Amino acid sequence: MTKLIITVLGKDRPGIISHISTILYERDCNLENVNQMILQNQFAGFFFVEAPSDLSLDQLQQIFIEKTVDTGLTVHVNRLEGNCHATDDFLPEIFLITTIGPDQKGLVARFSSIIATFKANIVNLKAVFKGGSDPTANVMSYQVEILPGVDAQAMFQALRDKALELNLDIRIQHKNIFDAINKI
Amino acid sequence: MFDDHEIMSTIEMVKNENLDVRAVTLGINLFDCVSHDLGVFKKNIREKIISHAADLVHVCDAVGDKYGICVVNKRISISPIALVAAPFSSDQMVEIAHELNDIAKEVNIDFIGGFSALVEKGMAKGDKALIAALPRALAETQRVCASVNVATTKAGINMDAVLEMARAIKLAAALTSDTDGLACAKLCVFANIPEDMPFMAGAYLGVGVADAVINVGVSGPGVIKRAIERNLKDQKPNLGEIAEIIKRIACKVTRVGELIGREVAQNLGIQFGVVDLSLAPTPTVGDSIGEIFQALGLTHIGVPGSTAALAMLNDAVKKGGAFASSHVGGLSGAFIPVSEDLNIAEAAHKGYLTMEKLEAMTCVCSVGLDMVPIPGDITEECLAGIIADEMAIGMINAKTTACRLIPVPGKKAGDKVYFGGLLGEARIMKVAHLDLKDAFVTFGGQIPAPIHSLKN
Repeated sequence: MTKLIITVLGKDRPGIISHISTILYERDCNLENVNQMILQNQFAGFFFVEAPSDLSLDQLQQIFIEKTVDTGLTVHVNRLEGNCHATDDFLPEIFLITTIGPDQKGLVARFSSIIATFKANIVNLKAVFKGGSDPTANVMSYQVEILPGVDAQAMFQALRDKALELNLDIRIQHKNIFDAINKI
Repeated sequence: MFDDHEIMSTIEMVKNENLDVRAVTLGINLFDCVSHDLGVFKKNIREKIISHAADLVHVCDAVGDKYGICVVNKRISISPIALVAAPFSSDQMVEIAHELNDIAKEVNIDFIGGFSALVEKGMAKGDKALIAALPRALAETQRVCASVNVATTKAGINMDAVLEMARAIKLAAALTSDTDGLACAKLCVFANIPEDMPFMAGAYLGVGVADAVINVGVSGPGVIKRAIERNLKDQKPNLGEIAEIIKRIACKVTRVGELIGREVAQNLGIQFGVVDLSLAPTPTVGDSIGEIFQALGLTHIGVPGSTAALAMLNDAVKKGGAFASSHVGGLSGAFIPVSEDLNIAEAAHKGYLTMEKLEAMTCVCSVGLDMVPIPGDITEECLAGIIADEMAIGMINAKTTACRLIPVPGKKAGDKVYFGGLLGEARIMKVAHLDLKDAFVTFGGQIPAPIHSLKN
């Protein structure tokens, strides 16, 4: 048994999940985990599967190439390496870092590089820049995992300084307050 | 994972709708500090309070920073001083007030509450000494808050205490005539005082409560107002639906309070007590109870319909709070303090809100006649009559009521008073028949507790 990850990219339309999962089913692959998202009109999906031992990575890749040739989808098959489950030894603290303000070139690059410098991991990023004065139309929101050893206060200060320099409103709040308010 | 709406609505509540944690109040039991020696007693209370409260401000700020929500006030409530300092004279009680004031400054909190007595069924030696000490204690200190419970539903109203309190209020005002009677803003007269309230000036630590406890007061009138306005803009909800909107928002706000309170309590190693979700205004536009009435389609708080609107608001807030947390306590409802709310002060000034209507509204609000500046030449008897009326509302309806009345020396109805900070400013409200010296309140004795059957 081999663990594989199938990445599917392409213009969204009805039937993508069905198409991919049917191919996997026909090859006796067991789906363990699926996630997908749609950004504007583009589909991205991740399929974690356990493949039978007589099916190689290359064979599966070839099957997908043949079966998706006219669909406009790009499919990559890779071996899944490392432990895919987070260990419970260190439960990370998750903070939401949200900036509100007009689009400027390089915003995501500038903020994410600060987060990377402090070795904190971005587990989710949403950025919307539609222009105009509606604050909800120009928002970046990072969910950042902070493990012991990360100097969170220094990182928050660096992010606040950067936001001030770029004239953006920044909010840094622990995830639990969003849970308390929204997840009842 | 949160969607955009969840993230933005949470940020909006804090950023533009003035959601904050109004008070984290650390309750500290002082019964183990008792001594017949004033020096020893003062030393004991200093050691006990500082040992528990040294990190309070720092921890509250750190937790507030973590969640991006401001803990505006850090406070301490203590066991009633009339009980733990019962052997002392009124002069010695004033000394104790000074000691408490110094301790409050040392631990950097803005108010310490519990310079209090519970006299609903009679006054003991310590109670009398404390009440006699009130005017000086409040005039000579800045951070000490006092409360006296003169009535309960089960005991009735102690009318001797009511008259004593009217005298104490007049005297406290006279001693602080240069600041518009500011001492009275730190003094509440209660019926059915709650033991776990985090809000000043009435906070004290009940006798049946743990050695140390964290109680949290959350506010959020701006959040409620905006929620009503948003829904009225998009659709046309009826009042049942508006009550539901208020309830849901109150639930969210309460959960924020519990989150903060529990973390502060955990970091201090102290038991968590209650969340008190009270809509407490500040003199800031957008942080007003009066504005909620306007959002509900009333010209101003005080016009016909206001009592019904307040009843709905108060009940919806309680229901939302009770759903959100099993540890809801204190007052949990809507305050209508006149000077602390720009909009209410304006309604009073324009004549929409009168003393009589205010009293009627206190039948359904969470407290009572709160931060009401009245003419300084009101007689003791008339003042005692107002207090007795308010206590009767609490006693009969089995609810908390309180009076925080400020008879401003040398000023008349319509004159401007300024208390500053959260206490705000207002015009003095007109009190009818304030020169009467009717005998009723001077008869003294006890108005008996009401019958609990045959309710009509």
